[in-house]
Formats: sequence, C-alpha cells, structure tokens
Amino acid sequence: MSAVNRILANLKGDKSIWMIVIVFGLFSLWSVYSSSPLIAAKELEGNTTLFLLKQLAIVLSGWFLTFLAYYTNYKRFSQIAPAFLVVSVVLLILTLIFGYGVHDAKRWLRIPIIGLRFQTSDLAKLALVIYTARAVSSKQEIIKSFKEAMIPILAPVLLVCGLILPHDLSTALILFAVCFAMMFVGRLEIKYLIALLVLGVALLALVIFLGNIIPQLGVRVETWISRISQFFDTSVEDYQAVRAKIAMARGEYFGRGPGNSIMRTMLPSSFADYIFATILEEYGLFGGFFVIGLYLFLLFRTVALVTKTTKTFGAMLAIGSCLLIVIQALANMAIAVNLVPVGGITLPFLSSGGTSYWFMSIALGIILSVSKQHEKDQQEIVSETNTESA
Amino acid sequence: MTTIKNEVLIRVYVVTLLLVLAALAVFSRAFVISISEGKKWRDLGDQQFVKLMPIEPLRGNIFASDGSILATSLPFYEIRFDPLTSNITESLFAQKVDSLSMCLASISDKFDAKGWKDYLWKARKEPIRGVLIMEKATQEQYERMKMFPLFRLGKYKGGFIASQKSFRSHPFGTLALRTLGYVNPEDSKYVGLEGYYNNYVGGEQGEEMMHKVGRDLWLPMNDLKQVDPRNGDDLLTTLDVNIQDITQEALLKSIDYHNADGGCAIVMEVKTGAIKAISNFRRIGKDTLGEIYNDAINKRTEPGSTLKLASIMAMLEDDYVNLEDTVDVNYGKTRFFDRILEDAEKHGMKLTTVRHAFEMSSNVGISRLVQRFYGENKKAEKFIAHLRDFNLDKKTGIDLEGESDPEIKEAYNAKKEWSGITLPWMSIGYEMTLTPLQVLTFYNAVANDGMMMKPYLLSEVQRLGEPIKTFKPVVIKRRIASKKTITMAKSLLEGVVLNGTAKDLRTSKFSFAGKTGTAQVNYGKLGPDDKKEYQASFAGYFPAENPVYSCIVVVYNPKQYGFYGAICAGPVFREIADKAFTLKTELHDCINKREKMPMKGPMLPSGDAGMAYDIDFLLDKLNFRYYKQAKKEFAALKVSGDSLKLTDRNIDVNAVPNVVGMRLKDALHLLENRGLKVGVNGYGVVRRQSIPAGARVAAGAYIAIALE
Repeated sequence: MSAVNRILANLKGDKSIWMIVIVFGLFSLWSVYSSSPLIAAKELEGNTTLFLLKQLAIVLSGWFLTFLAYYTNYKRFSQIAPAFLVVSVVLLILTLIFGYGVHDAKRWLRIPIIGLRFQTSDLAKLALVIYTARAVSSKQEIIKSFKEAMIPILAPVLLVCGLILPHDLSTALILFAVCFAMMFVGRLEIKYLIALLVLGVALLALVIFLGNIIPQLGVRVETWISRISQFFDTSVEDYQAVRAKIAMARGEYFGRGPGNSIMRTMLPSSFADYIFATILEEYGLFGGFFVIGLYLFLLFRTVALVTKTTKTFGAMLAIGSCLLIVIQALANMAIAVNLVPVGGITLPFLSSGGTSYWFMSIALGIILSVSKQHEKDQQEIVSETNTESA
Repeated sequence: MTTIKNEVLIRVYVVTLLLVLAALAVFSRAFVISISEGKKWRDLGDQQFVKLMPIEPLRGNIFASDGSILATSLPFYEIRFDPLTSNITESLFAQKVDSLSMCLASISDKFDAKGWKDYLWKARKEPIRGVLIMEKATQEQYERMKMFPLFRLGKYKGGFIASQKSFRSHPFGTLALRTLGYVNPEDSKYVGLEGYYNNYVGGEQGEEMMHKVGRDLWLPMNDLKQVDPRNGDDLLTTLDVNIQDITQEALLKSIDYHNADGGCAIVMEVKTGAIKAISNFRRIGKDTLGEIYNDAINKRTEPGSTLKLASIMAMLEDDYVNLEDTVDVNYGKTRFFDRILEDAEKHGMKLTTVRHAFEMSSNVGISRLVQRFYGENKKAEKFIAHLRDFNLDKKTGIDLEGESDPEIKEAYNAKKEWSGITLPWMSIGYEMTLTPLQVLTFYNAVANDGMMMKPYLLSEVQRLGEPIKTFKPVVIKRRIASKKTITMAKSLLEGVVLNGTAKDLRTSKFSFAGKTGTAQVNYGKLGPDDKKEYQASFAGYFPAENPVYSCIVVVYNPKQYGFYGAICAGPVFREIADKAFTLKTELHDCINKREKMPMKGPMLPSGDAGMAYDIDFLLDKLNFRYYKQAKKEFAALKVSGDSLKLTDRNIDVNAVPNVVGMRLKDALHLLENRGLKVGVNGYGVVRRQSIPAGARVAAGAYIAIALE
C-alpha cells in the first residue's frame, strides 16, 4: 500500500481528474464482473474468467497509457503532431482499402504479425485533436485571417473527417464537432465558422449523392438513410430503441442492482453502444445521473484548468482532449435515450472494447499532463516572485 | 493579452454551457423514459422478455409390495440441431458434415452415414433450424453426442440443442401396466394408480420467473418469487410382482387357448383386502391381446352362477332351507311363466339335496327354491335386502378411477323392469350387473369369516424412503351374515371342489374352495343364426381351511374347447393358486417339523459324497438319523441295512481323487486343484469319471465326468 501511497503523493496534476481516471477503471471492471453469469449463459463455451482478465488487462494498460501521457511534457505532442497526423491519414486510407468490420462498415484494421485489430479512427481522432490544437495556438496572431488561419487549420480536419465519413458517419460527425468547437474556442472568425457549417452540410449532401449514384464507393448511405428515417418515423418503433427504453424503464430510480440487467442480453451491443441503457437498468436514474455527472465534472475541471493556464497550446490541447471524451459520451447517451438516431459509437471508458479505451486514456493523460505543467509553472512563478521579493 | 484570454474564455464557457444543456436533455429524456413512460415500457418488457415458467417436479416411483420398482421416471433428451448458427459457415458445414454423419450413424439406426449426410444437407438447404436428431436419447447417448463434430461447439456455435425430459419407465414391462396407469394432463387423462394418486406421486409444480437471453434460451431471474416444485412421493402398493406375473400369464394362456374375447383376474389377500394382482386382457387384433381397459373394476356384467352363493346364503340367513333338504331339480328343466330355464349341464336327476344342487350349480334347483320362498306375497324385497346386506349393491371403493356402480333392481319397481321371471333369474345371477371385483369382494368376505374388507392397492406413501402416510386395511362391514351361514357357505364352496362342478380341478397339494360360473351373455335376444355367447368365471379362495388369498377369474366369450367356468376360468384359478401357494412358503409344512421317520434302506441317500460339513448340516436340518464317523474334510454316505453312516472320503493329494457321488461344485474344486482339465456332461451327481481314482497323471491332463 505504501508504494501506491507514494505514487499518489508524487502524482502531480488535478487530483480530481486522477480520481475520475480511477473511478472509470473500477466501474468498467465491476460491470464486467457483475454480468459474468449472463456472459457465461450466453457464451456457454466462453470462459468468463478470461473475459474478466481481458477487461482487467485493458483497464490496467489504460491506466498505464494515461500515466505515460501524463508523464510526457505536453509540448512534445506539438512536435510530433504533424507526423502523427500523416501516419493517421495513411492508416485511414489503408482502412478504406483493406479494412473490415461488421455490416460492410470498414472500420478496423488488423495489425500484421500481432493480429490485434483496432479502429483507425480512434487513433486519427487523437492525432487530429493534437494537430488542431497546435495549428490554432500557433496562429493566434493571424487567427482572424481566412487565408492564413482558417484554411490551414480546416484543411486537415476536412481531410480526416472525410476519410472517416464513408464508413463511420457518427464518428466523423463527432470528430468534426470537436474540431469545430476547438476552432470556435481558438477565436476563429465566427462568420467563417458559420460558413463552414453550411459547407459541412453541403459536403455531407455531396457524399450521400455520390454514394447513391456510385454504389461501388461502398458508402453506407442506405444505412444512414434508413436509420434517420426510422428515427423520424414515429409509427414504427425501432426494436433496438424499444429494448433500450425497456431497459431504462426497468431501472426506475434506483435500478435492479448490479448484474441484474435482463435486457442486456436482448440489446445489441449492450456492452458498447447501449451500455448507458444497461447502466440505467442496473443502477437506475441515479446511476445515470452519476455517470453524466462524471463526464460533466471532467469538463468543469478542464475548463477550470483552461481558465487558469496562460499557455495557449496547453489550453487548446486540454480542451480538445476533454471535448473528444465528453462530446462522444453525450452523443452515445443521446443515442441510448433515443434523442438522436442510432449510430455505432462507444461510451468512453465504460464500453468494453480495447483500442477506444486506450486512446481515450491517452486523451485523459494529456489533460493531466497540461495540468501538471500548469502546476509546475505556477510553482516556478511563485518561486520567482519569492526570489524577486527576497 | 487579457482581451484574447477573455475572448477564449467566453467561448469556452459558451461551449461548456451548450454541453451542459445537452447533458440536461439526455438526463430529462432518461427521466421521461424510465419514470413518466416507465410503466408502459416495463409492461412491454415483461410481456416480451419475462415469463413465469413452470418447474416440473420429479414424479415418484411406484413400488410393488416387496419394493420392486414398477414405475419410475427416467431422464431422456430430445436432440435437435440447428445447422444455421452464425458460426457454422457453408464451408465449415461442408467440411464437418461427413464425420458428423458417420458419428450419427454409429449411434442411431435412423439412417446410415450417407442417409444422415443427405438429411443434414437438406436441413441446411431448406432451411430447418432445429432439425430432429434423436427423439429419446439416453443420458449416455447424449454424453456421446455432445462430443460429435460441430455438436461439440455447443448450443450457440454448434447448434446442438438438447432438451431434457423424462419418461415413465416400467422395469417389469407390461406387468400390471393398466393398474399402474398413466397421466396425461394435456388430455386430462388420469388413469390407474398414477391417476388416482397423482396428488402424491405427481408432486407439485413449482414456478419461477425466467427472462429471455437468447432465441430459445431463458434464464431464471433468481428473485424471491420462485416457488420450488415439490417432487412426487413414492407409492408402495400391495401388488405382488410374482403373483401378478403368474396371474397375467395364466389368464393370457386361457384366453388364447379358448380364443376368447378377453378376460380378467384379481387376486386379493383375504385378511386385509389388499390387491395382490389385477390383470385384464382384451382382444385388440386377431392375434393380439392388450391390457387396454381395467375390466376387472369397471366392466359390469351379469355374474351368473357365482351369485348363487348369495342366493343360498339369503335362504340360510332366513332359515328357509337346510343343506340336506330335498329339492326337485326336475331333470334339469323348469318353466317360469312363458320362459323355460335349463341347467347348463345335463343330468338325469329328479330329486337331490340343496347342497348338491349348489355343488352341481343347478339353475333349476336354486331358482325354484328362491321363487318358492321369496316369489310370493311381495317377499322379493326381502331377498334383495339380503343382497344389500352382502354389499352387492355398492361400489367396493377401491382406490382406482372408474369403478362402476353395481346394478341391483328394486323389487316390483315401477320402471317396468320387474316381471314374474325377474326373481328366479336374479337368483342365478342374471337381471343384475356387477363387476368382477364386486363379486370377489363378496367371496373374500365369506373366506374372511363374514368380515368384508375394502379392496385397496396403496399401502404406503413414502418420501425419501420414509413412510409419510400409511393405509390400514378398511373394514366395509364387520359381518355380512351369521356365523352359521358363513360356515355353511364355506362348506358349500369346498363341496364344489370336492364333489361338484370343479372337482376335476382338485389337487392333493393344497385345498381350495370356490364356485364356477357359466353365464349366457346374450340369452333372450338371440336371433336364429346367432351363436350363444358365454362368460366363464371362477371365484374362490385358498387354502380352504385357512384362506390366505381369494381370487376371481372371468373369461369373456370363449369360442373353442369349451365354455364352462370350470374349463375356461377354473384352470386359471388353479394355476394362480398353485404358484401363489408355492411362493407362500409360510403356508407349507416344514419338513423337519414332521415326525422323524424311521428310514428304510432303499430310501436312504446312499453313495452321496462331498464336504463333510455340508452333508452334516443338511442331514441335521432334515432330521435324518445317522452315525457320524467322518473326521476329514470330505465324506461319503454309506447305508448298511437301515442305518446311515457318514464316513471319510480319502483324497490323495498326488493322485486323481475319487469324485463319484459328489456334486459338481466339490468335484470341480478337487479335480481342478490337481491341475486337471475337466469336461462335464449332464447334471446332478457325478456317477462316472474317465480316469479312475488313484491314477497318477501329469498336470493338464483331460478328465471327463458324467453327472446324472
């Protein structure tokens, strides 16, 4: 225990955010553990211990990655950002060609030799957020310029989102929203941003149009259209949405208790896309309130950090990483409660699934790294003023 | 600098505000779904994904009186296969179907390997999800199949669907099958003991909430609402496997031999009314007999001459007759109004005694007596009152479903059922209907010195081997007639066997008493071309002097080799009695209780040899007088004059021993210990051996012994 205490004592950065890291990890372990009888029943041949160990491995490695990112001086991210982005773009292109996934959605790439599969967009999201933070912060003097700021900042965003979009509309939209918010926060000219929104809609329309007339492109236009029309067609309830609602309703205020969800076996991807419905069934509205509160708490702590810090890149990087987590979380929950149409995105840290957890862990680590650096700067300022006054 | 910072912060707060609003929207939406609309969704969920499922209890066993299992539940599996699980791709199926087919052919005769392959491919192509593989697989077959290719991947991946059920197994085959009965709640059929005592043996269904976790998979929710099933209790019946077996066999033989339409037989324990055997057969095909109805308790017919016992007892009770009184049997023919009544067997007698009229079952004699004493002045009431005294108008109350009510007419009733000939015909067992069990219960009461016992089949309800409810014999009526009447009735029944219609059935081994019955079933309604139909029966008990069992045998419409009760039913009774008597060793005199007989020379067991201890023990038990001179392990018996001597049989350890006079056990033991190879011929006692005693031979030599 003393070793742990020492590590905790030496940990810099926002302690509240560290707490969030730990709570997320424990919660995800607990939810897998409590549902193991169901997994056993459903996968009679599956080894539940293995399932738990796998999740443990993911959580531990996630914590390690968070620590690693926290340990890294965040300015290093600025240095590697261009290279990181290039690699991501190449991987995204490879995914478009060689990738695979369920229901014709090419989202995953299998890493040769080790055989691990990962969703390239997870990597690209992080790369793009870092790159955008760098671009926005480095162009603060000329930020209101269209040609010198708007275009260079926007171009990679459009490129990355455009590459993700054909097979994963929801992720592309969320990533675009995150970057858009970063550009907004980074003081880009509002009229250009409004124009960008219009352009985004136009671009989307173009993709849908192209996908429709050239099916060979493999754009999942049909899926999108059906999902969206299903959402607005109130006469036919989508069965996924109905089951999610049943799950949430079963939870009422206090839930049915850990492991007692019966709808998770009936919900498609109840451990990923619909985990929020399962959480509500087992822990009730209060559980849901707690989970929403965790993400909002992360948002508030990051905003507090941004308010205090004087470093533009740090601020942009922290707020970008935070938005990446929070916007995706809210989008996932909005889908679960049927506020927006169905889309396949995970709830950061709580959905099971490896690579998403890792990249989100890195994002958290980056916020902590900025927070740590800020604390260090503050101490230097204090010591400087101390020496000055001395 | 501060303006830039402020601009950034304002924009950050705007974004934050928007996200907080979004979070509020999510939360309020969740609130609406789970609380405001909550009931609607929960109800929908309960309807689709939750259900109350019964938990089937285990059915109890049914035991014979000695504890042999007559009926028990055994598990089996219904095996189905889903060739279209997402895991079984076309290539995987094609790759494994050959080996799977071969495995299936090895366990099931339904198809050969090729046939199975076609069958499985067809199922995949059609497609049939859940194609039947085996309807009733045993536990062992199920365990084997679980390891077959594809199947071993399990339910979801391998499509191996096994549902456990149980079936009722009867280790003794058809033995008392109809009496054991069955239950089939779906058709609300509750038959036999299984049906009557379903409350005990069937147990009680439990129930539990299950929720859906897959296409056909439901899991218990483990909530407090679960009600555990109560497993069925075991029934210990009064049935005796051996007597039941004898009864079935003897009855079947007679039905077959006389080409009858069917028959039934019941054996009852006199003192208690416990049913030891019930057997029923009906012809269900030209050459097939089946136990489809429990005729013994629900088939109501005119009993015929077996009822004459009741008529005589009525007259004895009223003191109208003495057994030695003379009765006019008028050469076996008489007339009541417009109807002629004849005796079944021709005889040339004009006058005889009441006793003899009964023993030879004279219709004329009995009916004339009854008509004389009860035929006038409205006295028929009195006769029928006696039948009621004998309980012949009531059900016995046996613990089986479906006992028929007997039918005894009210005297002079207004329903035009009563005519001048009703009474004389009633006196010889017509114009009324009874079940075989009702007749037997009456006979049993006579055998039991007038005490009428209720027939019953269940003696104990057991749970985990411990009795939880015991059924004592029930007395229907403490005394159905005076002691004097009963004594005379018994002597009449004994007379039937000694001098009357059943005298050919006599045996010196044990005594029995009874009455034959030969009833014409279709009298009065016979067309010119119709053949007469008879019902042959025999009711009685054994041994006569101290009755242990009573028994009735009824054979319906025998069509060849005679139709009389004494010929069709009597021998069945005899066979049952013979074997039941043999089995009931406590009825036999003990050999060593007899007086020690001075044995004469030729009767003594001369020359027998064997282990000295064994011979010693046997002679002692059998109360032989002998002189013991033997001191060694083996001995032989020698007779000199009228005395028996047990002398040593010397066994030379190095030579061929003398085994003449020994039983095979001893002979083999001795010869094989000498290293000889023994050839055995015949059975009994060794009379000759191929190598003489005392010869020295090499080990492994062949010796033949002849037993006689």
